[in-house]
Amino acid sequence: MSKIDTTPQTSDETDGSERTTDPDAKIHASDLRVGYPGLDEPVVDTETLVVPEGEVTALVGPNGSGKSTLLKALARHLDADTGDVLIDGREIAAYGSKEFARELGMLSQHGSTPEGIMVEELVGHGRYPHKGFLEGQTEEDREAIDRAIDLAGIEHLRETDVSSLSGGQRQLVRIAMALAQETDTLLLDEPTTYLDLRHQLRVMDVIRTLNEERGVTVCIVLHDLTQAARFADYLVALRDGDIYDWGRPEDVVTEGLLAEVFGVEASVEYGTEPRIIPKRALDE
Amino acid sequence: MDVSSRSVEAYARLDSRDRRLASLVVGSVVVAFVAAFVQVSQGSYPTPFGVTFDVLTDPHILFNARVWAAILTGSDLPEWLSRSAVIIWSLRMPRVFVAALVGVNLAVSGAVFQAVTRNELASPYILGVSGGAGLAVLLTLVFFAGATFVLPFAAAAGGLIAFSLVYAIAWQGGTNPVRLVLAGVVVATVFQSLQTGLFYFLDSSAAMKTAIAWTTGSLTGVGWPQFRLAILPTIVVVPILLLASRHLNVLLLGEETARSLGMPVEYVRFGLSALAILAAATAVAVAGLVGFVGLVVPHAVRTVVGSDYRRLVVGSLFLGPALVLVADVIARLALMPIQVPVGVVTGIIGGPYFLYLMRRHGDFSEF
Repeated sequence: MSKIDTTPQTSDETDGSERTTDPDAKIHASDLRVGYPGLDEPVVDTETLVVPEGEVTALVGPNGSGKSTLLKALARHLDADTGDVLIDGREIAAYGSKEFARELGMLSQHGSTPEGIMVEELVGHGRYPHKGFLEGQTEEDREAIDRAIDLAGIEHLRETDVSSLSGGQRQLVRIAMALAQETDTLLLDEPTTYLDLRHQLRVMDVIRTLNEERGVTVCIVLHDLTQAARFADYLVALRDGDIYDWGRPEDVVTEGLLAEVFGVEASVEYGTEPRIIPKRALDE
Repeated sequence: MDVSSRSVEAYARLDSRDRRLASLVVGSVVVAFVAAFVQVSQGSYPTPFGVTFDVLTDPHILFNARVWAAILTGSDLPEWLSRSAVIIWSLRMPRVFVAALVGVNLAVSGAVFQAVTRNELASPYILGVSGGAGLAVLLTLVFFAGATFVLPFAAAAGGLIAFSLVYAIAWQGGTNPVRLVLAGVVVATVFQSLQTGLFYFLDSSAAMKTAIAWTTGSLTGVGWPQFRLAILPTIVVVPILLLASRHLNVLLLGEETARSLGMPVEYVRFGLSALAILAAATAVAVAGLVGFVGLVVPHAVRTVVGSDYRRLVVGSLFLGPALVLVADVIARLALMPIQVPVGVVTGIIGGPYFLYLMRRHGDFSEF
């Protein structure tokens, strides 16, 4: 049903940079060091990161632990100082700009929405990597835009001016734009921060559906540990730019993790849902 | 069914913005034609409107190969033309055409820079062009006083050099709108000071007036040679910028989003800036630094048709010439026999436009 499922894997044998990786790793990063100009110490310095194919992986950690930086390095927004990032076994630097944007979508934390443009038109920009320099909108583009708008549940906003939307609606529209890219992998940087509870749930719902119905691999930075534990298939906990622990939420989210990584004394319970009750901040 | 009725509605709404664009284009064309008509008929040797109309619509002139040759190659006009026809076709018409080209180039250039710097109050001069061109003109006037014929090239070259300098200063393994604008301020400030200092080395009031005409922007004395100089870059740059409007739209979404969508942001930004600088330099070469046009026109068009660059560039293409033509009519005829630089008039029109915006929005943050 979904176009994405039938897309052949692009890890072709002709590419010299192909490596052997875990069979189910969509993204595989090794010996990654990422910094910013003007900083001596790298912000991210970690040995191995695996984002399993067809699953939802959440990156969690306290402020300044390097979650967003790591995500930006995976999305080629930042160049890593050292290390390799492979998608489908192929080095990300080997992709062309548009080719890469057809493989991997990235919803940044900040993005501006110009005024005087309709929701439908903004979502339409998601088709950019599928078009040539002068190519206009094709039937295929229109179908992809319709699917994205439908999946994001913003059909009723289609002809609304983007500048008149609430913050939560605007985020759903930005997600729809990323969906219109129709990539196999989607990275999201704190997509729920600053949203009201209802829109937080809406956003998470859309991402879940995307993952379950279209098999899209999702890697998402989340601020809220409870939300991450409930929502994700895998958690990657970061501390000071390095991966502290990796695995299923119930294995990763422990009282030890909260103390060691987040500096918080808390109790963690697992019933049908994980429950984290923070008690007090531990001294540095 | 619901979907199809919605897309019909969407189509109707698209239409309304296209209709507003069409009204803007038609309005601009009417204003431009009226201004041009007044400009070619009036002056120290006024021609009655009826005679002007006859001269402008005379098929013997319009379809005469020698008239065209005079315009395009600089050969002499045929001697059978009436005195009115000669004045109109050799003195006043070229000024109208050059004014229109200046309007086109500045407006389109401003529109691009407002997208590249993601600042709706940016002008074509934001990346140092004005400082570079002004300094080059002053240097030429001080050190090569007789060589006024090189002024257009000096101005354009100065602008391009300043732009390269701005880019070099802003570059740090990449660049961004804020760094570019700051580097523009750095270069413009230093060059402007040097330029002001050089004014004291001008030894005649004629040179002083020439310098002022260049640094405020003037169309006094332009002829077909200036038209020929400006038309070539215009017909190359403007169509490319029109075609690039979809990319400008994506650039407006912010750097990170544009990159996520697969745009090679640095290349696109540099390429578009270079083209817009070329457009600005073209205007500067024939008219000097005419202010406010490149800032006001795209801004005004945006309030009418929205920020979609496919409409914005087209609207600017028509409103720019209309504004410069009207301003130049005022500059040339209002205080006869004294002509003021057209840049003085565009400034006087441009300032109150922003006052009007402030009153209407009541809040500058809404820009």
